[in-house]
Parts: sequence; structure tokens; C-alpha cells
Amino acid sequence: MRILTKPTSLRSITPLRLSLRRQSTSVNTLNKNELPFTHTSTGPKEVKYTADHEWISLHPDGTAFLGITKYASDALGDATYIELPEVDREIDANESIGSVESVKSASEVYMPLKSTVTGINEELENTPQLINTDPQGKGWMVKFQVEESENNGKIMNELYTLEQYENFLKTAEE
Amino acid sequence: MLRVSKRFLTKNAAVKKTALYDLHVDLEAKLVPFAGYEMPLLYPNIQNHVQSHLWTRKHAGLFDVSHMLQSRLMGTDAIALLNLVTPSKFSKLQEGSGQLSVLLNDQGGIIDDLIIVRERNGFAIVSNASRRDEVSRFISQQIRDRLPGCNIVWEPIENKSLIALQGPTASRVLKEFVEGDLNKLFFGQRQVFPLKDHSDININVMRGGYTGEDGFEIAINESVSPDFASDLLANEQVKPIGLAGRDSLRLEAGMCLYGNELDENTTPVEASLKWLIAKDRRDLAENRLKFNGYDKIIDQLKNKTNEWVRVGFKFSGDTPSPAARHGATIFNNDGITEIGQVTSGSVSPCLSINIGQAYVKNGEHKIGTKHLVQVRKKLFPIEITRMPFVPTHYYKS
Repeated sequence: MRILTKPTSLRSITPLRLSLRRQSTSVNTLNKNELPFTHTSTGPKEVKYTADHEWISLHPDGTAFLGITKYASDALGDATYIELPEVDREIDANESIGSVESVKSASEVYMPLKSTVTGINEELENTPQLINTDPQGKGWMVKFQVEESENNGKIMNELYTLEQYENFLKTAEE
Repeated sequence: MLRVSKRFLTKNAAVKKTALYDLHVDLEAKLVPFAGYEMPLLYPNIQNHVQSHLWTRKHAGLFDVSHMLQSRLMGTDAIALLNLVTPSKFSKLQEGSGQLSVLLNDQGGIIDDLIIVRERNGFAIVSNASRRDEVSRFISQQIRDRLPGCNIVWEPIENKSLIALQGPTASRVLKEFVEGDLNKLFFGQRQVFPLKDHSDININVMRGGYTGEDGFEIAINESVSPDFASDLLANEQVKPIGLAGRDSLRLEAGMCLYGNELDENTTPVEASLKWLIAKDRRDLAENRLKFNGYDKIIDQLKNKTNEWVRVGFKFSGDTPSPAARHGATIFNNDGITEIGQVTSGSVSPCLSINIGQAYVKNGEHKIGTKHLVQVRKKLFPIEITRMPFVPTHYYKS
């Protein structure tokens, strides 16, 4: 997820979105009671994180869910609007698939894998606050069918594990 | 996101703190660098952004605005400087009365927007924190080069906090603290009041603010400002509000933010601030009475020759949409012809629709005109709207 709106001047709202607080280590875990986990009864085969604060849960049938981490949702503040892609859209690796807006900022959300959109979380249209209350569960954003390819496998391998992501957050703040 | 944040979070020895800094820390504010100061953005453990915004519209919000530049203009020729650098009329202004004005460069561009109040021995000025250096340089240079030999002294005021108390219950709260009659202090007026329990402490109170609500901006010595702010916050009507709320409140009130709506290439006519140009300063024969950029500004005013106009807009579609932010392009209804650019925009917490301010081509600015705005790859219908977006509640005589 990357911030969209460009700095305009020192006084503009630009600096308002830059202060990120450190989180305790457990908050970025996937919620085990919601669809991104329960899509497969035994849970996803992998959960990975990006340096831009997306999480992705990949299931054995090639279905993947994507959302933003708790860390990111706290940093962005109360969500006012979530922009989501059209179903059936084909996504290139690292393509923007939507955005999360608060009163003060807009941040674009990216899908790291080449895939096809197979569903969106329609609840977010009327209840964007789910992004804040449960970003790694009820606040999931997009469902994809991920094509099995060498490149996708390589990307998936290079993404952060939960532990690596938490370490990344710590280093980034020091 | 983190790449940027890391740079900004780096400890910078030059970042200044206001006298209320420790109070912000005690209140667990989320602090951000802003115009050279470390300032509260939000108080996340008290309210989120939308709550803090709505609280100020219903109750009273306390804002630390000590980062703004307070200054004083004195000397027998002070009016000559104001006549040169502003389009306002100060000669008839009564002591204790003030108004919004702009500093103009030679081309009629806006150096800063500011509040100027007549005092017994000169003028008290409050201008933008982000323009501190430019304003200092500009005023000194204008006195030196344009009014040589004149008796004019301009100096920043040090050691004073500036606290804004804004909202419908602000006056009820402040009454408890001051000796004197706040009911006789009207919008745009400034007066010194002793504190009730400490008659040795004077506060300088101006009625007005940056939210569209009734309220006050209070100058008080830094030695006592933290205690005073804490006492105000002890009232259940008062909550601390950060820069996030300040920005969304001023946007709803249709007010300009320097750097977004105003800059050195923008005239007051283009900025839809014609009302700042005093009626009897629009037709001047004598050169020595003309303000900077007079010919250009008066031509724009009389012949509507300005290319751009600042407007307010709202989204007119029925479906939820992303807000149009600073830099978003506005198109004609054909979706091809570019006719403007957004300068500020977000969802309005009071109206729950997307609103914004923009510059559009002269002629495309009429209230009710329908245009399209591009957010990322999509176009959304908007309509030019009267500002303020929410009604103001000033305390006027």
C-alpha cells in the first residue's frame, strides 16, 4: 500500500499521515474465524506480507485473499471509503487493485501476484470501518484466483512471513 | 509509506516545540512535524479524526496554534506599509477590531493570509507558521526598499502561546475563566481580559477562528499557558483537537489553506477573496495610495480578466466514491477538456459527501455548473457549490 496524494507544501495535510506507531507483535495475525482463513477448513497454506503492508492468504485451491495489515490500518486512521476492483479483472503482479481512504489521506493497495479478481468484499462499501476494526478478517478486500506459475511462486517465496514482517516494522522505525 | 515516514521520523534537532508540547505528550498525541514544529495531529486515545471534527461542531475544541507567527507593527507610518502591502482599509478601523487580509507582492500575488488587529499603539498580526521566513523577509524588504525613511517597526512577538477554543460552547466555557463581559466581544474583535482567579494574568482574546464556529484565539504568556490549557481541558465541554481536525473543519468552512489554495502566483481575485479588497481602495488616482499589484488586481476585478477562479465543489453522484484530493484534474462534461485542478478535498464529516476546493477556468465557475473530476483512472460527476459547505456560526453584533 502506498500513499497516493503528493506533498504540496509544509502546511498541507501531507505530514499528517507519516507518523506510525509501533505495534505489539501479535496484532498483524490473520483472524482465524473469518473467510480469508476459513475458506479452507484447515486454513490457508500460506500467509504472507508485503513491505507496503498488504497481507495475502493463499489457499490450496489457488484462491487468495488480500487486505491491509492492522499496522497500516492504524496508521491510516478511520476509513471513509474503500475502492475495490471489478470482478473478473485480470491483475498483473504488483498492480493496484484499489484504495483505502480516510478523511486525511488516500492509499493505494497492490496485489503482488499475477491473478484474476473473483470476488470483492461488498460489506466494505457500506461499512468501510471494517478496515479498522478487523483488517485481517472481516475487513478483507479482494478475492483472487492465482495462476500457478514459476514467477508467482518466486514472488510468494520472497514476500515476508509474519515474523519477517514484524521485524521489518521494527527496523523501519528505528 | 515507510520509506517516507522513516525520513520524517528521523530525530531533527531543529524541530521546535511549543510551550504546550508536554501537555500534548501527556495526552498521548500523535505528533508530526509541521512548519518546523512538532505538532499534534490527533489525540488517538481521546478521539479519532471524525469524532474530533464533530466534537468541535457540537461542543468546544482546544487547538494549540502557537506555531503561528504573532507579530506587532508599530510606528507613525505603520498605515503606509499596510496600504502598500494589503488591499484592505485600516485607516478607519477602530482599536480592538481586526480583519482577515493578505500580503501582496509586486504582481499582486499572495505572500500570506493573515489577521491584522488595530491596537492602541499599532497593529497586532497573526500569520501562518509555514510562511514565517517569507513574511519576515518580505515585510523587512518592503519597509527598506519601498518606504525608506519612514517610521515603521515590525517585530515578531516571542514567548506567547496561541490557543484556539472553537465551537458552540466555547464562549460558555471561557466565561468561567475571564473577568469581564465576553458577550460584548464580537467576531473580529480583540480585547485583553484578566483571569478570574489570577487577576495578575492577562489574556488577549480575539473572537473568530479557522473552523467556521464561534470561538476565540487566545494569546497568553508561555509561562502560564500549559496550566491555562489544562484548566480549559478540565471542562467536560472541551477536548483537544489536532491538525487533522483543524484541516477538515476549515475545508468545510470554505477557508483557504496557504500552500493549497493560496500562493505567490495567485491574486485575491483569483482566490475568490474579492471581499478583502476594500471598496474605497478600488478606484485610486494617486500612485502613492495604491497597493502592490493594484493595476492587475483592479483589472481582474473590473474586467473579469483573471484566468482562474477558486471554487467549492461537491460530488453529485449517488454511489460512494473516493475523494478528489490535491492535484486531481477537473474536466468539462465531455471528459476530455481539462478545466481545473483540485487544491483540497476529502469527505466532509458533517455532510458525509465528498467536498473540495479547486481552481477552474474563469467562466466554468458558476454555482451549479456540472463537471467531472478524475480520481486515479475514473471520472466522477461534481457540481460547483457555494461555500461555506456548512453554515458558519459567528458571533456578530
